[in-house]
Order: sequence, then structure tokens, then C-alpha cells
Amino acid sequence: MRIGGRRPPFPDAELIRTLAGLLTETGLTEIEYAIGDRRIRIARVPGGAGPQTGPALAPSPPLLASVLVDDSAAVKAPMVGTAYLAPQPGDPAFVRLGDSVVEGQPLLIIEAMKVMNQIRAHRSGRITQILVADAQPVEYGAVLMMIE
Amino acid sequence: MFDKVLIANRGEIALRIHRACREMGIKTVAVHSTADANAMNVRLADETVCIGPPAARDSYLNVAAILSAAAITGADAIHPGLGFLAENADFAATVEEHGFIFIGPRPEHIRLMGNKVAAKEAARRLGIPTVPGSPGTVCDPAAANAAAHEIGYPVLIKASAGGGGRGMKVAKDATELCRLLPLAQNEAKSFFGCGDVYLERHLERPRHIEIQVLGDGRGEIIQLGERDCSLQRSHQKMLEEAPSPALNCDERERLGTLAITALRELAYKGAGTLEFLYQDGEFFFIEMNTRLQVEHPITEMISGIDIVREQIRIAAGAPLGYSQSDIRLCGHAIECRINAEDPRTFLPSPGRVTDYHAPGGLGVRVDSALYQGYQVPPYYDSLISKLIVHGKSRNECLMRLRRALEEYVISGIETTIPLHQHLAGAAEFIDGDYDVHWLERFVRDRG
Repeated sequence: MRIGGRRPPFPDAELIRTLAGLLTETGLTEIEYAIGDRRIRIARVPGGAGPQTGPALAPSPPLLASVLVDDSAAVKAPMVGTAYLAPQPGDPAFVRLGDSVVEGQPLLIIEAMKVMNQIRAHRSGRITQILVADAQPVEYGAVLMMIE
Repeated sequence: MFDKVLIANRGEIALRIHRACREMGIKTVAVHSTADANAMNVRLADETVCIGPPAARDSYLNVAAILSAAAITGADAIHPGLGFLAENADFAATVEEHGFIFIGPRPEHIRLMGNKVAAKEAARRLGIPTVPGSPGTVCDPAAANAAAHEIGYPVLIKASAGGGGRGMKVAKDATELCRLLPLAQNEAKSFFGCGDVYLERHLERPRHIEIQVLGDGRGEIIQLGERDCSLQRSHQKMLEEAPSPALNCDERERLGTLAITALRELAYKGAGTLEFLYQDGEFFFIEMNTRLQVEHPITEMISGIDIVREQIRIAAGAPLGYSQSDIRLCGHAIECRINAEDPRTFLPSPGRVTDYHAPGGLGVRVDSALYQGYQVPPYYDSLISKLIVHGKSRNECLMRLRRALEEYVISGIETTIPLHQHLAGAAEFIDGDYDVHWLERFVRDRG
């Protein structure tokens, strides 16, 4: 049950800024903040030997925000392959943003080696985010959709 | 030449392959488990695909995931590294069936050499001397006894589908043989999926000498000299050197000719290593590894040949471009395998590397994926670094080894560097006077 009024949208930019500030201030390498089933982790990327990152490492900011948004709501890819949002090309998509789904309902297909694998909802709820495009390659663990 | 190669492995060998690819202008795809998301080869690769959770069977052994990753990234070829699927003939065949090039030998040669009984039979047919052993597999104590009687005790029970020194048992008489046979069969079944075992004479004080070859697949074979890998603990190599301090020129030449003649007949393609036991001036073939080996760097140091580069070139159909007479072996090289283990108890020591400084200087090479802040995962084998030194002579090499070991800093986890330092000062090692049982005794006696 939700109490205390409207939930702020997630990810929370203000929260990230505060945590990032804390990280710099305290010299810690990693802060993980959880409340209920919502979790966010901010980590300093482990660099080479101190300030010298070799030219081979892709230029990245020293602070990496790794946002594990609402882990329990995430629909993650259980395999590597290509995601398809409809049963067949030309068909309407399995689900759209805002749809209510029930546990076990097919959400998308991941095709691997010509085999079509249906990915089903792990819980009932509403599709609040669709993070993958049709025919997009996905890796193991990729967050595809959010069911809240 | 390939545009893009998928590296189906992890750790220092994945980084090694990445380096060879990048030097040839080839794009790399690093597949990795969730536990290896921050591995150095993953950070450096042009493209990365997470293929599964930490367990090897769900990631690095997951054929479907690897092929799927190759498909979505449009890779041309797959390099299997070593271990994992590198000597899986079915994997090699499947890779080719799916339209990718497998960077390695032909599936039929992987299959041939993967069955140790068939490999010995093939070696015999090709004129290579083998360790006296049972004619084939032995299934029951009666057959085992009869075979052992012919061979002479003590005998070694080995798995036909085995390799890497795993699952072997020594029986010194008929009673022990009867007792150990079913145990060996069960272990073989659980380690390698096949309970077939065969017998070999157990040599009392052999050296393990192996020879590196490259074949272009069209009958041209080059040999790059031998490696002495006698320093082993529980059948796992700890330190290797090239050339072997035990061989003279004649023996070296004899071994080289043997290897070339035999593999020319097979028209072997790719890199391979023939392993022998050497005792009292005699060579006995034990097995052939149809892949890149951990200790390949010492051969690279003395020959100047980049073996991984040659693997890639051969797989792409390029001719060798040189002949045996172009090969010059210079100086001496030693490799220390450094594990994330307690140097006394050998208990694994995964964890975060808090301080890291690798030795450098002339003739020093470090093949490692470590970096400061790296978290060594607990799920995989404990090899975290290979320290390789090269010198104009074995003595220079030994001095350099001692210096490099004392300079090497890996803090935050336990490593076997102290053991290597101790080994580097041991009289028998310095004299080159050791066999495959020596290190085991050395480790036991140091307390």
C-alpha cells in the first residue's frame, strides 16, 4: 500500500546530486541507498593507477551513476539476442506503455539463433517504461521494461 | 582479414587475444558474465555483450549465448581462448555451421586429440613414441590387471576424455589397481562426462617437455621449440621455461623433426602443442593440446613470433609467410604463473586489489588483467597474472626473475609471489635439476 502522498518520479536527480556530493566529500568509492524496494548505487569507476587513465580507456566521467531503479519492477533479459515487441512483423505490439499486465503475460520476444523465446511478466502491474526498441540487440540482464 | 573477432573467454587470456586483435586493426567483442563486467578486456573492447550470470556453465560455456552474441554484433570469427570451449569439437563445428570462423584447429583434429586413447593411437600411427600403456580403455579389474601385467607397475589410471592433469591415479600393485579403478571411472564420469579410463606406465622421474607447433592447414608445419613444464603441483603447472635445461641440441632437433613429420601428415591447422614425458633420454608422447596454452609467452619471447596473431592469420586463410629455416630461437625465457591463493595453504584468495605495481624493464613481460581497484571474482580459476622474463642466457633470466618478483606488488589479496621467490632461490631449480615430482616435494618440505 502506498502512503504519504504522490511518489516523486524515479530516478530522482536531486537524490543523485546529494549522493554524488557525499561521495566526493567523504572520499568513499561507492554509496548504495535503499528505501523499501527502491535502490540506487553511485560508484566511482575504479581507474588505472590514480589520476592517469591510459589513452585506451574510453573517456568517462570519474563518477559513474549506476542507477538500479526499482529492481523488483525491472523486466530483465534472461538471454542474449534480438528483442521483438510484436509476435510477428506487422502485428501490434504485445504491450504498450501504460498497459496493465498480469503475471505470466507475454511482453516481448527475444530471438536467439532463430529460436523465438517469449519473455513473460514476472509480476502483475502497469507497464511504466519500455526501454528497448523493436529489433534491438540485448544482452543478458538488460532492463527491457518496468512493471510497477 | 577479419573485421571483428568475438573473444569467448575471460581474464588475462581474453586481454591477450584483444591485444593481438587490436594490433591487427581488428575490432573486438568481449562477451562476459555479470561477474566480469569490470574486467580489463571488457573495459577495453570495442563492443561488449553480457552473456550470463557468474557460473561458467551459464556464461563462458553457454554456446547459445556466445553464438547469439556473435550474431547480434556481426562478428566474423570467434577465438575460444583456452579452457572453457577451446577444445570442444562440437562447439568448433557449431561455430562454423553458423557461419563464423572458429580460430583454432579443424573440429576433427580437436575431436581426435580430445580422446586421449585415440590420440595415442594416432601418435603411434604417425611414428611418435608413446608411453607404454593399455591397448585401449580398460573396463574391469580383470582387463586392467592383464594390461598392467604387460606394462609393468606402477601404473597410472587416466581418463580417456580427460586432460589438463586432472583425475589421474597411481596404482603400485594389483590390489591398489582393483581398488582405484572404479574410483577413477567415477571421477572421469563426473569431471569429463565419460567414465572411460586407460592405463599407462607411471614414470618415476620424468620431465614434462612439450613442443609448440603452428600449421597452415595445407601441410606446412613450423615448430617453435620446446617448453619444460616439469614444475607442477597437483598436476598443475606453476613455472615454465624455454628452452628446457635438460635437452641437448641433438635431442631438441630430434623432437622438432618428430613433431613436424607427424603433423604434416595430418595437415594440422592452427596452433598446437605436443606434450611428452622425457626420461633417460627418451621421449614418450602423452597428449596433444589443440589450442593456445597458458605458457605460450615463453615461446614468443625466444622466437619473436606472436602466436595469437598467427592463430588469427591462419584462421583467416593467410599463408604462414615464413619457413622453419626462418625461425631463430634466442636466449632463455621463464614464466611464473601467479595465482590468487595463499602461498602456503593454496586456499583461494579472491577480493579487491588495493595496490598494484607490475615490474618492468628490459626482458620483463606481465600478462595480466589486474589493475588497482579490480575485484578478483571467486567463481573462476585463480590464475591472475603471468610474469614472463627473457634473458640472453638462463643465468641472466634467473637474475631478472628474482629482480622482477621482488618488484611486483599485488596488495589486498594473497598471491603465490612469495612461493615463486622461494622457488627462484632453490638450488635444484637454479641448476635446472628437477622432474615432475620435485615441486610437490619442495612445497611439502618448506613446511
